Amino acid sequence: MSAKEKVLSVGIDLGTSQSAISTSAGAHHVVDSYVGWPVDMVARKVMKKPVVIGAEALENRTMLDLHRPLEQGLIKEGSEKDLAAVREILSHLIELATEGNRETRTRAVVGVPAETMRVNKQQLRQIMRGMVDSLIIVSEPFAVAYGIEALLHTMIIDVGAGTTDFCVMKGRYPTEEDQRTLTKAGDSVDDLLAKLIDERHPEVQFSIHMVRGWKEQYGFVGEPAKRALVTAPVHGKAQKVDITDAVRAACESLLAPFTETMLDLLAAVEPEYQEKVRQNVMLSGRGSRIHGLAEELEKALVDLGGGKVRLVDDPVFAGANGSLAIALDADEDDWEKVSA
Amino acid sequence: MPGGSSDSLKRRLLAGAVDDNVRAIRNQPRRRLYRRAPFPWLLAAAGAALVAAAALVVVALRSGAPAPAESGAASVATSAPAPEGLPAFVSAPPARVSGRVFPLAVRRIAIDPGHGGGDQGTRTSSGLREKDLTLDLARRLAARLAAAGFEPRLTRDSDQRMLLADRARFANDAGADLFVSIHLNWIEDGRANRGIETFYLGPSDDPEATQLASFENRESGYSLADVRRLLDSIYADLRQEQSRAFALAVQKRLLAAVRAVAPEVRDRGIKSAPFLVLVATDMPAVLAEVACLSNDEEARLLGRDDYRDRIAGALFDGIAAYSRSVAQAEPGSGSDKGVR
Ligand SMILES: Nc1ncnc2c1ncn2[C@@H]1O[C@H](COP(=O)(O)OP(=O)(O)OP(=O)(O)O)[C@@H](O)[C@H]1O
Ligand SMILES: [Mg+2]
Ligand SMILES: [Zn+2]
Repeated sequence: MSAKEKVLSVGIDLGTSQSAISTSAGAHHVVDSYVGWPVDMVARKVMKKPVVIGAEALENRTMLDLHRPLEQGLIKEGSEKDLAAVREILSHLIELATEGNRETRTRAVVGVPAETMRVNKQQLRQIMRGMVDSLIIVSEPFAVAYGIEALLHTMIIDVGAGTTDFCVMKGRYPTEEDQRTLTKAGDSVDDLLAKLIDERHPEVQFSIHMVRGWKEQYGFVGEPAKRALVTAPVHGKAQKVDITDAVRAACESLLAPFTETMLDLLAAVEPEYQEKVRQNVMLSGRGSRIHGLAEELEKALVDLGGGKVRLVDDPVFAGANGSLAIALDADEDDWEKVSA
Repeated sequence: MPGGSSDSLKRRLLAGAVDDNVRAIRNQPRRRLYRRAPFPWLLAAAGAALVAAAALVVVALRSGAPAPAESGAASVATSAPAPEGLPAFVSAPPARVSGRVFPLAVRRIAIDPGHGGGDQGTRTSSGLREKDLTLDLARRLAARLAAAGFEPRLTRDSDQRMLLADRARFANDAGADLFVSIHLNWIEDGRANRGIETFYLGPSDDPEATQLASFENRESGYSLADVRRLLDSIYADLRQEQSRAFALAVQKRLLAAVRAVAPEVRDRGIKSAPFLVLVATDMPAVLAEVACLSNDEEARLLGRDDYRDRIAGALFDGIAAYSRSVAQAEPGSGSDKGVR
């Protein structure tokens, strides 16, 4: 690092549901990945700003043209608005992190869903031009693996909102062959849960946001630790409804695809290392906080000789911290090659 | 040989990440996984699919039959036997069918209004939503088909989210003779953002088509292993040929009808692309992007009844023309089924 210039390294996790940043100066911020533009003059007056980001955007959605730009882990079909929304999220995070300090050079590592890596990498580079001085884009599970030093003979399963990304670390930068993406993740559980509640309790009124909240509070697979008793309006009156079975069925819809993908990836590991990988399966992403998930996945490994599935410590910042670790380890030469 | 200190391992991973980014900056695709291929067509499909969908990631082959892509990927597993493992919605890999018996005639038409429910498809800032327009067009088309003695079957007849897997299964179970999926496009290309294109099943090296397929495939509901099996089973070159003829018929009528009102609409032609809904259906199938919401004038026209009627009429004409050509090619097979 040159003496005369201050350099700020940042690690960013760009997610479907939340995006987070960690910096070499020790800052941590997280925002919900929602962006809204006031729909008309009135809305603009009320909101007092041209663009609203995060939870505030969600709360005021009736007044906003609201975008959640990364649904299913992809920037949507080249839509200008969604590209602009991604830009707003990223610049908002960087602004939070630099606190308006313009003198520093900013070097960023951005972890994105594997699907975005495949399809939108160029667009992301374009978006971030001018925002940072150098930029490295990596896939989210790789960033997580790097951050927790699970670099060899490990499997990362990052359960997000739009996608679940699997990645096996084999001592090389992961290739297509080492990674898998499923669209079975938090959002798909929400959709199924909504459908099940609708079927089993047609009198209950709810929104998808309520359903998501219930899942986050009660989500489990296997045996229920407690009943999922939720309060929801029924014919306009608040009532308690037991949705335990629906919650379980919705969450368990993840098990078969997760197990199948885990086993598929394991089968592609060289035989002498399979045991090691089985003992080192790490769950990251907030979607992995469904109770009992690790235990159920471990059961699937029993037939293969057993294994260990663990949760990363900080699912909100595991990706951002991992990206930051990469940023700190990259040297001048590396940054030179990827100037934005 | 993975080994050495953690530092040198980190160095190697970092170099890989930087290398990957440098390649993206130079706009080079990542190295293809598979090279030697006895069946280049399928390989191209798999390659395109790799880039394409969230669901479309190569999965360890579990099918017992040796598949072409395998030859390039040494470490891919080939353990579990296939057919009984097929999920219910994937019909067994089609045996080659003789052109003399397939299809006998066209009577039942599956119409698939794209998107629905929480999946809105594309949307204009004025609030026109793809999911609503496709349903409207589908209903208009169904009415015309029914009046002419065909048997239309809608995959969805309400504002309902439906997985691609379920759409395909619906058409297969209904014993449909033809499948047409209706969509509206969004083309980000300045003034050229207005055009019509019709897709049929096949590989694609057109990045735009691939991106579109990736977008439309997001809601697939297939596990990765399923997709792999599906791709392995699309040897139905006969169906591809018929789908191509069907696509031609539809595209021609659509273009003529729309140009009568808006001469400047571009002919984007018929194209092949790995849309999952086309992969998983058993009958000749097309996906028509009947108009472009990205164009303001087009969006305005789509708000009008008579314009939507015109498009539905063109789709009808395309179906009728194709079924006539089939009936002619199969003497004695069409006339007794009430097809004109
Ligand atoms: N306690 C919880 N239990 C279960 N699920 C939870 C919990 N907390 C959050 N979630 C779910 O986790 C998902 C969000 O996870 P995360 O923030 O890791 O996703 P993301 O990184 O934004 O998405 P992606 O990786 O797909 O881009 C949402 O579906 C959310 O409802
Ligand atoms: Mg994430
Ligand atoms: Zn569409």
